[in-house]
Amino acid sequence: MMHIWMGMIGVVLTGAITTAGAQVGTTAADLEHQKAGEQKAVNLCSTCHGPRGISTSPEFPILAAQRRGYLESQLEAFRAKTREEKIAHDFMWGIAGDLDDHMIDSISRYYAAQPPAPGKPGDPTLIAKGRQLFEQGVPDRSIPACATCHGEDAAGVADFPRLAGQHARYVVKQIEYIQSLVRKAPVMHGIVKDMTPAEMQAVAAYVQSK
Amino acid sequence: MFGRLATGTFGVSALAILLTAGLADNANAVPSFARQTGQECIACHVSFPELTPYGRYFKLTGYTIGKTFITSEGFNYVPMAVMAQASVTNTKNNHATDSESGDTIAVNQRNNSAVFSGGSLFLATKVNDYVGGFIQWSYDNLATTADGTLGGHSGLDNTDLRAAGKYSSPGAAEPDLIYGLTLNNNPTVQDPWNSTPAFGFPYTSSPLAQTPAAATQIDGGLGQQVAGVGGYLWWKKMVYGELSFYRTADGAFSVLRAGQDTHTDGGVAAVQNWNNPYWRFALSHDWGPNSAMIGTYGMIVNRYPSNLDTSTATDRYRDIAVDAQYQYITDPHTFTAQATYIDERQSYNASYSAVQETGQGIGAGPTPENPTDTLKTFKLKGTYYYERKYGGTLAYFSTTGSADAGLYGTDAAGNARTPNSTGYIVELDYLPIQNVRLMFQYTGYNKFDGAKNNYDGNGRNASDNNTAFFNVWVAF
Repeated sequence: MMHIWMGMIGVVLTGAITTAGAQVGTTAADLEHQKAGEQKAVNLCSTCHGPRGISTSPEFPILAAQRRGYLESQLEAFRAKTREEKIAHDFMWGIAGDLDDHMIDSISRYYAAQPPAPGKPGDPTLIAKGRQLFEQGVPDRSIPACATCHGEDAAGVADFPRLAGQHARYVVKQIEYIQSLVRKAPVMHGIVKDMTPAEMQAVAAYVQSK
Repeated sequence: MFGRLATGTFGVSALAILLTAGLADNANAVPSFARQTGQECIACHVSFPELTPYGRYFKLTGYTIGKTFITSEGFNYVPMAVMAQASVTNTKNNHATDSESGDTIAVNQRNNSAVFSGGSLFLATKVNDYVGGFIQWSYDNLATTADGTLGGHSGLDNTDLRAAGKYSSPGAAEPDLIYGLTLNNNPTVQDPWNSTPAFGFPYTSSPLAQTPAAATQIDGGLGQQVAGVGGYLWWKKMVYGELSFYRTADGAFSVLRAGQDTHTDGGVAAVQNWNNPYWRFALSHDWGPNSAMIGTYGMIVNRYPSNLDTSTATDRYRDIAVDAQYQYITDPHTFTAQATYIDERQSYNASYSAVQETGQGIGAGPTPENPTDTLKTFKLKGTYYYERKYGGTLAYFSTTGSADAGLYGTDAAGNARTPNSTGYIVELDYLPIQNVRLMFQYTGYNKFDGAKNNYDGNGRNASDNNTAFFNVWVAF
């Protein structure tokens, strides 16, 4: 259990440092980079991720109001081909392969600044079960509360991603990928490795409703 | 159409070398658009050639997503791809009676034999941020030669060259308008929905099987014989409109029908110069994992009865079609459906008038006996794929039209025949890797060229043409 908490602290500190270090000024070059990133988001990313990052298909994640550091790290992982689940391989390796550091930074800033997607209602019983898991975890099985890292409102903290409003189907798939080590996220793997399919469905329904 | 293979000559060995080169490439050894985008085939295709919403966006933005094949830093990828098919065809009753000699002949000259059907070489790439396209050169290993035997021929196949742009209003979250120009050689090849003929189901079929004789002009009647230029608009990814004009692919456009038999009467289509408008209007909407479209398309064709004599008047074909498409795309389940209905009115202003005035038709014919005829086609298909690997398709097709002894002959009682053919297709697909499709396709006929029984006057029934088709289709 200790290594999970140490890992979390490490990620938070890394995120904080990254966030502080990535502050940009408002030079002409910065503005040019930001404009290029916005154009890429509008003309290309929106095709799958929807206008302002609110996708309609649950196969593609909602990016609106996502944590900037998280977006950066994932785009870098796609570019480096270290995030390997099927849809990442089939779609994002090619897209991210063309992005330089400036573009990754500006696209991440664009989506982080967008208004969040509204929550979607669902089965109240399932959502209530998911809320309990999200807020309290399952102490008997050493599953910590999701809120610990993702925030009480599931809006994300530092580089821990926002989950609120995300497609439930996408959330479940990512937990499954992490549980089966297809997606390499050591900290999260330690947390979800014993999670049952019913628990995944419940917590996904809850965060989608937020 | 991938199945359309034109005439000419081409070295099989050259294709084999290219195919080998493609196979020897690394994991990115996929058709050149995939190399261009760095994405897998399934990003744009439900299963080739059927397009996903992203594939439609890629096509309508001029094939310009991704990298150009060459930059100041050198080559990024090979802007070419190869495709090949090998198959076995079984015709249910392979024996027919020749109407002239009375001899028993084989309907399918390679029945139950493994054959190399043919292949294609593609030049397909983004040229710059606004221009892209694809050019397909196909080799048909089973083309019918002048003496009725089978031989190898090649020629230009489907071609679509585009220039496209996007307009976004200030602060827009996605493009408000996508606009573009297309130059192509087959009406509907430029369309992004697979309910239209050029890329409609079946995506490939037996090169050896007997197939119904009648088809509308817009349903392959002009493919690789005409040149078309048009413009299109796609507003908010919801409203699509296109207007194009076609002409005979001769003169400066002759490359667009390279390999076609232009010297034989009836070898190719000849139409009036640019006076053949094609239109398309569609409404589309995506929600959740669903994508739907309803639309209409059509064409007016002013066609010379003989391609060797353009001094005559022309016959007029007016094709009006409605179509619809639905797609549900998730991982692992995918379901898609397409339907189209084409209504063609044929006005034989030249052919019929010539018979009335001179007692004979124009050119090789066949010459209609009616001043006007109708031809109506309906197609419907549904496809399910699991993990984009295991697929099944059910399809229904129907062609009906007015009886015309000049076009379709007469039956034993002397009555004019119709072009009526109806049937179904069952297809099973397995894609072990995304570039290889193993398929079994069964086509059954309830009516064939006008009748269920004895459609040829020599005792052959529609169901005798039922076809089992095993095919291996590779694209690298």
